[in-house]
Amino acid sequence: MRPFTHLHVASAYSLRYGAAFPAALAARAAELGMDALALTDRDGIYGAVKHVQACVKAGIRAIVGVDLVLADDSAPGKPARVTLLAKPGGWGALCRVASAAHLGQAGARGAPAVTRESIAEQAQGELVLLLGRGSDVGRAVAEHRFDDARDLFRRWREAVPDLAVEVVDQYGYREASTAARMLAFADRVRAKAVLTNQVRYADPQDAPVADVLDAARRLAPLHPRHLDQSTSHAYLKSGKEMLEVAERICGPDRAAIGRLLHTTREVAEGCVLDPDDVLAMRVGRVHLPEVGRDPVPLLRNHCEDGLIRRGMERSKTTRARLEDELRVIERKNLSGYFIVIAEIASMIRHIPVRCAIRGSGAGSLVNHLIGISEVNPIEHGLLMERFLSDGRIGLPDIDLDVESAARLDCYRAIYERYGETRMACVSMMETYRARSAIRDVGAGVGLPPHEIDVIAKAFPHIRARQIRAALNDLPELRASGLDQAQLRQVFALAERLDGLPRHIAMHPCGVLVGNGGLRDRTPVQHSLMGFPMSQFDKDDVEEAGLLKLDVLGVRMQSAIAYTLSEISRVDGVTVDPDAVPRDDAATYDMICSGRTLGCFQIESPGQRELVAKLEPRTVHDLIVDISLFRPGPVNSDMVTPYLETRHGWRVAKYPHESLREALAETHGVVVFHEQVLRVVDAVTGCGLSHAEKVRRTLSDPDRRQDVRRWFLANARPDFDPATVERVWTILEAFGAFGFCKAHAAAFALPTYQSAWLKRHHTAAFFAGILTHEPGMYPPRVILDDARRCGVEILPLDVNRSGRNWEVEKRPTPDGPVYGLRVPLSAVKGVSDAEVERITAGRPYTSLADFWARARPSRPVAERVVEVGGADGLYGLSLAGPRWRPGRLTRRDLIAQVGALARGPSGAGAQMPLEFTERIEPGELPEMTEAEAVRAELEILGMDVSRHVVGFHEELLAELGVVRSRDLLRCRNNSSILVAGVKVATQTPAVRSGQRVIFVTLDDSTGPVDLTFFESVQGACAATVFGSWLLVARGVVRRTGARAVSLRAEACWDLPALEELRAAEGPDAVRSLVRRAPATRDGGVGGRAIEYGNGYRLSPYADLGPVPSPAAGLAASVPSARLWHASQGSSGDTGRRQYLPRH
Amino acid sequence: MSRVYGDPIEAWTRDGRPDRFLWRDRLYTVERVLDHWVTSRQWWKTTETDLGERRFWRVEATPDREVGVYELRYDTASNGWLMLRVWD
Repeated sequence: MRPFTHLHVASAYSLRYGAAFPAALAARAAELGMDALALTDRDGIYGAVKHVQACVKAGIRAIVGVDLVLADDSAPGKPARVTLLAKPGGWGALCRVASAAHLGQAGARGAPAVTRESIAEQAQGELVLLLGRGSDVGRAVAEHRFDDARDLFRRWREAVPDLAVEVVDQYGYREASTAARMLAFADRVRAKAVLTNQVRYADPQDAPVADVLDAARRLAPLHPRHLDQSTSHAYLKSGKEMLEVAERICGPDRAAIGRLLHTTREVAEGCVLDPDDVLAMRVGRVHLPEVGRDPVPLLRNHCEDGLIRRGMERSKTTRARLEDELRVIERKNLSGYFIVIAEIASMIRHIPVRCAIRGSGAGSLVNHLIGISEVNPIEHGLLMERFLSDGRIGLPDIDLDVESAARLDCYRAIYERYGETRMACVSMMETYRARSAIRDVGAGVGLPPHEIDVIAKAFPHIRARQIRAALNDLPELRASGLDQAQLRQVFALAERLDGLPRHIAMHPCGVLVGNGGLRDRTPVQHSLMGFPMSQFDKDDVEEAGLLKLDVLGVRMQSAIAYTLSEISRVDGVTVDPDAVPRDDAATYDMICSGRTLGCFQIESPGQRELVAKLEPRTVHDLIVDISLFRPGPVNSDMVTPYLETRHGWRVAKYPHESLREALAETHGVVVFHEQVLRVVDAVTGCGLSHAEKVRRTLSDPDRRQDVRRWFLANARPDFDPATVERVWTILEAFGAFGFCKAHAAAFALPTYQSAWLKRHHTAAFFAGILTHEPGMYPPRVILDDARRCGVEILPLDVNRSGRNWEVEKRPTPDGPVYGLRVPLSAVKGVSDAEVERITAGRPYTSLADFWARARPSRPVAERVVEVGGADGLYGLSLAGPRWRPGRLTRRDLIAQVGALARGPSGAGAQMPLEFTERIEPGELPEMTEAEAVRAELEILGMDVSRHVVGFHEELLAELGVVRSRDLLRCRNNSSILVAGVKVATQTPAVRSGQRVIFVTLDDSTGPVDLTFFESVQGACAATVFGSWLLVARGVVRRTGARAVSLRAEACWDLPALEELRAAEGPDAVRSLVRRAPATRDGGVGGRAIEYGNGYRLSPYADLGPVPSPAAGLAASVPSARLWHASQGSSGDTGRRQYLPRH
Repeated sequence: MSRVYGDPIEAWTRDGRPDRFLWRDRLYTVERVLDHWVTSRQWWKTTETDLGERRFWRVEATPDREVGVYELRYDTASNGWLMLRVWD
């Protein structure tokens, strides 16, 4: 008998519905001996490309369809659905119908739907319609309305002649008899009938996952009435099991069973798709926008013009290189691609928006000549092969960095240039991770929302499947009391949601550009911001052969743009950061001393330590620094040999004299991908293109042995076998982790520029950083650094504060002093419209005037007054006695806001105070400084008037706490006490495979860096992650000429120490911090992940590169964020008191 | 008219279907399966990891000559049969 084919299958890409990934389904189908499988995801074909790929891999044929909501349904709540399958050649029609569901009249954003008419319009003989039990016809049959059913069916048949009735029985109550009626109905109207299982998961054991998804989708608790199935039979059943289903439906009539299975098979045969229609890239079918002319000569002309414009037309080597590059491009038919990218880059610069190339594309001379890249690859020794080579399948990646604040303007420009149907954003699936999974499952089992919140936030940002392991492994979670019987099931279920797509979102930078046929290649829907958005992710669009361009919003570019505008506004000077000298000694002095907070790429604690050791003096040094600060190089210990040779403590060694040229720039250490290419080429003479292929396989443990054999066999005769082995060892260890020099070169420029601006235009620089928040640190840390750099911090003032951070210049006899004014937008809860009204209405003469004309909401007005925004109107200051009858206090003003709010609200009328309630000046006591700072932290998220640590000076002095500015004077290996506000916690990947917590404290004189190893985490982790103000004991480690770091031994919550001091006196505190900490319970568990080359990684290390550019892309930063917590950091677990109580 | 019971019974199966069962000391022979369906247990109410399934059978059966309709339930987790309802 011919195998059964499942025609109605939902994968995990049916959001909050399916529980299995396409790859698992295809593999299971193949295991069951099936030769084809359909994927019919709900509401879109999000998983289609992955399904076709999976089918090719599993050696079965792919059928693709979609399951859509019918708009003209009379039963709200549970909409009717129909399924459409693409016939051969029907891929385009399927894409269009999926788009129509989202973009058409019938659907709304987030609620896609189709009508009979819209299906008819797209189907055109290329789609097959399945009417199942969820369709309008199926419902009429189930409800015994046969006349209705026949009528509806007749209208469907007129709209889509190619259709079949679908029968399903998942063993629920009365399902078999309903299915039998459906089959009888098909006979009566002489329609084909097909048997499906409406698959939602691969195994019956996954039924609870589907139940949880049902509850999460409906935002309802788990209860049979909220679930789609009452059984666990919606799995990918075998042919034998499906035969049993057919027997249940057809009864003893063997002929009927045969007919049902036969027509199912027949419909399947008629819907097998050619995989190349979907995976166009495999067969080199690249989809490019129309250029209008033959792109080959056009690109050659552009390059020729570029040679002249850049003054490079006379150089023979340049011409030879250009010819090489053009040949590769033409062989790959990519001339049009380069023309389009050049056009887009030029369009962005004309907006005008700062635009720079990032990544390997900077290595191409063509990119430089046609104006995509400003980096001259020949000058920096960059290679095209890293970017584009003959051996590489697919379109090369060109990434453009633009100002983050103007990213959408760039999208809009592309949208307008190419038109709605030729442009689309790339999407991405947000998947379930520990915190989101706990939230959805918690809601499903009916936990109270606030408890769910506390539980979810207690976990670090780990994968959902690590939840229970983390509870065991991490001391701070062991101590949290979360491991209770009632919660175990929540955690068990949450783990099963691991990695399932939860939500579709716009990719932060990917943009598709195509020709008029784009929507036959990808379905689109509207993104939140209204742009057309592909249903495919970045990998899928590449497989589909679509032109993807990454337009990355880089906050640092916006910060620099803002800094420049502030310099010009305040000082009347125009600065061009591209033109400043690249060898400014003062700038490098600042970098070498590690005072790099706010600077691009080099502000993290680890980077501050590295720059202090490396002591960069040129842009090339910065390129090396950026390349070295990656998990790979740090783990493979490339840093130490490089630093030792750089500082002349040991002689650079080269495995072979002929490798000197490739490795001299980094003193014999392999740092860059480009060097790997050159070394491979030097040893084997294989050419750089092939060397690039070799480099790519280095990171693949399975294929590394093959490459090794190839490398040893093809070494040139002048290399002896021992040398070749040695070179191979180096390549194997470092090659996979090296960094693309072109990428680092593109980064080093803004790094230097930001440092230069910080050194020479400090106040304006901080205004830019505080306004656009490009880095990892919260505003209060940046503010504190600004204060240390001699910039005055000026309080909120309704008459002076603007929308953004602004520089104010105050002349003094010793020259101008610069200050930074806290902006109105920093006030918690203030709306854009309020900021607009407040700034437009300046100046104000009184609080009543402010209330009447700016019309702030009452809470906002109170907050503004509470942090001193109205002090300027009355010349108030917090100094002096708290009780001062007859003289106005800030508290009086807050009371006045209340009176104004209660008073008559004449529209816009200026109401003198006398007409409202009378507040006696001095009736209420003035706020203390501590209260003021607490209000600032609460409302502005930063301590403006005083540093919080200032309130604990007495205790710190009693304990003999060493301050940051005195750390350099401490003896190496001495054990000291430090204290401060937590600035950042990170758990990066480190060489040993331990979880190491790096903590930066700020004690008002500078940063203090502490390292907590696993041995002390048992006693410390809960305090480290849970407290904000810390006292710690640590052993001094000198890490560079001007850098000190501490190995932590113990730590305490500072407010807790204050309480102890208040209760039992200073001696009790002194004896507590002197005692060795009792290890409460073991250290950190969990097995390190070990890689083939000995690289070990803690399962709780932060994912991704350490100074992730994504930090600059983070979409939204909570306004009251007080410290930076990396992904591997656990959350806050309790309430804390930040300031001593008075 | 149907009557509701809920008595534990002993049952024997053939090809996955009930074939004979013993109820109140009488042996019944199943003549025909009229209907069969299953429900999953409400797993979220238990702490057990076994999902379990309840399989319902509505059958025509007879202890001698008189044919009646009986509804039986098999619980996979407890591996036990119940007599749920009887029509006469």
